[in-house]
Amino acid sequence: MRFELSDDQQLLRSSTRDFFTKAAPLEHSRRIMEQDARGFEAPQWRQLAEMGYVGLVVPADRGGQGLGAVELAVVAEEAGRVCLPGPWLDAVLAAALLAQANGQDELLRQVCEGHKIVTIARFDAPFAGAAEPATRVEGAKLRGTKYFVPFAVAADALCVVTPAGVVLATAPFDVTPTSTLDLAQRFGTVAFDHVATPLGPASLLEGIDRLGAVGAGAMLLGIMQRCLETTLAYVNTRAAFSRPIGAFQALQHRLANMLLRVESTRSAVYRAAWCVDANHPDTALACATAKAYAGDAARLVCGETIQMHGGIGFTWELDVHLYFKRAKTLEQFYGSTEEQLERALDASGFLGADR
Amino acid sequence: MDLNLTAEALAFQDELRAWLGANLHRPWREELRDPAATEDSLVELRRAWQRKLYQGGYLGMGWPAEWGGRGATEVEKAIFDVELAAADAPPILNILGIGLLGPALIHHGSEAQRRRFIPPMLSGDEIWCQGFSEPGAGSDLASLKTAAVLDGDHFVLNGQKVWTTFGPWADWIFVLCRTDQKDRYGGISFVLCKLDTPGVTVRPLRQITGESEFGEVFFEDTRVPKENLVGKIGEGWRIAMTVLAYERGASSLSYSHRFARDLRLLARALEERGRLSGSAREKVARLVVENEVMRANGIRMLATFAEGKAPGTESSLEKIFWSEFDQRFRETALDLLGPGGQLLRSSPGARPDVDWAREFLWSRAGTIYSGSSEVQRNIIAKRVLGLPQT
Repeated sequence: MRFELSDDQQLLRSSTRDFFTKAAPLEHSRRIMEQDARGFEAPQWRQLAEMGYVGLVVPADRGGQGLGAVELAVVAEEAGRVCLPGPWLDAVLAAALLAQANGQDELLRQVCEGHKIVTIARFDAPFAGAAEPATRVEGAKLRGTKYFVPFAVAADALCVVTPAGVVLATAPFDVTPTSTLDLAQRFGTVAFDHVATPLGPASLLEGIDRLGAVGAGAMLLGIMQRCLETTLAYVNTRAAFSRPIGAFQALQHRLANMLLRVESTRSAVYRAAWCVDANHPDTALACATAKAYAGDAARLVCGETIQMHGGIGFTWELDVHLYFKRAKTLEQFYGSTEEQLERALDASGFLGADR
Repeated sequence: MDLNLTAEALAFQDELRAWLGANLHRPWREELRDPAATEDSLVELRRAWQRKLYQGGYLGMGWPAEWGGRGATEVEKAIFDVELAAADAPPILNILGIGLLGPALIHHGSEAQRRRFIPPMLSGDEIWCQGFSEPGAGSDLASLKTAAVLDGDHFVLNGQKVWTTFGPWADWIFVLCRTDQKDRYGGISFVLCKLDTPGVTVRPLRQITGESEFGEVFFEDTRVPKENLVGKIGEGWRIAMTVLAYERGASSLSYSHRFARDLRLLARALEERGRLSGSAREKVARLVVENEVMRANGIRMLATFAEGKAPGTESSLEKIFWSEFDQRFRETALDLLGPGGQLLRSSPGARPDVDWAREFLWSRAGTIYSGSSEVQRNIIAKRVLGLPQT
């Protein structure tokens, strides 16, 4: 029994940290955010793909790395630490989806190599509470509108979730780009009138959603870990009333609360990842738990990070708002907290039990 | 990563489950709501249960073989806690003796002390209570004042202990007392005192639950034989800190089993009333999620044990998590059950599943005893986060 990562996984962690630190420094990501409507740069993206990060969980014989959910969590945690811009997690999930569908080997290979961008279009309404599906398949055609489509402007193809199952539509798309809090995560509204290629039933998404929960949970973990480190460094140097502010118990106990959330998220995320790989009976509950808890925990940790930095924490100049914003995006996507809570309750077995 | 138990650990788990199936006849929950149950009868029931565990070879499992040990690993000890929680076995009566004094005697006691005190401690014939806290020394334990002055072959004790768990039923007390007024830590010694010694008065304290599980103990010129000193004079603080480390353990995992059982019963009670929708549903789901996080923390702790590492400050995080969760859970349960959740066990109409009112009250204790949440956060701030101290 061992919670620690294996030697290979630790190597993946350290090499990923080196690569992300060099390839995606925050000052570079800020330039993308402020100047690039696509939300990423093609050369950087191809480099990421060449390193194998896009096809991470795609089987090796289909052009991927053939790694598992634990490795996904390791990379996602590092992506969170640098607030990685671009559609990395979306592309990983779309690739995993394409790998489960038949007849998409060529597209899958191009996605893994970074030559094509594919993401999953899910949202039927811009605000919560869509009662009706907003897309439909009529004969061979996909019609209707999807909202909050990740990186729609750059997408070469989209996996679209419809009442008839998941279908593939290919560019060009009629996209209305939107701007959200986190400018390194770009979304668009897409109006479809496309040839629909069936990828499979909606049940294909079950496994993808679990990977999404693990990936997003791990990114939130990386974000929180980085926020805690940044805040600790700040409270140890910033002085007030002739002492470092970290000496005040009013802050110390709150920093202890932050650590509690970070470490508990780590336990939950890596246990969920391990459950996925081990095909454990607790997988559904563990994945929903990890994502729901990580989202809540990140609210506290990122919010406290701004608060403890004081006025400078509210400036565009300091990096902490990037983490705060990414955390909010991750919390609402990849299965919102509300959805994950419902999944957790369903998976708990507490409902309608042995009547 | 590998979160599976080893074959050896699984074999131990199977053996223990079989033993519990054959020896535990009624869950503790049912014992508690037996109309004939009294505080005294429940103590005797727990004593009998402890004796059974002792005879089965399940107490002091990690101690040397001559003291009942079986070379058990930390993982097996954690499995023991989990399985007893899952089976809803009665709590071990002499938990303070076995959990704290036992390790102190094994590591710091004399051979004569081990021979004299360990067997009746394990069998439940002698129940121990812990004399650490005083009216003026709680979180700041080292400011304790109970004095022990050497007079010939005896120490003469004067002072008062308080919040002494099991004080009203115990036969013996292990006392932290001051043998040197000037040396804050080095002036503390660890002494064993029989509670029927002249000059000792035990007074039960009624708790907010109405029960008197703890009490206060007064010493007035109480003469304690010198051979009842554990370790040397002035070693008391060091011994206390070592034994407190044993009080930890993988508590999250066993707590998550208990909480999951009660959560399931809460969900069922609400579902029966058509109340598991809207905000109630979200509240229950959040509790489920937090409890599963606690389980994940517990599994991680178990894996830490399995790798032969001693738990460090993780136990502070663990304690904050379960004790504060307990409060949120019990408060939410009462909110969702409505006034019926406040019915006392003895009252007509009380739910037979869980004594919700008592659990609600008890949840206030967990954040205070055995290092309050504030003390735990201080420990984390200092030892894990390395924050500057004033």
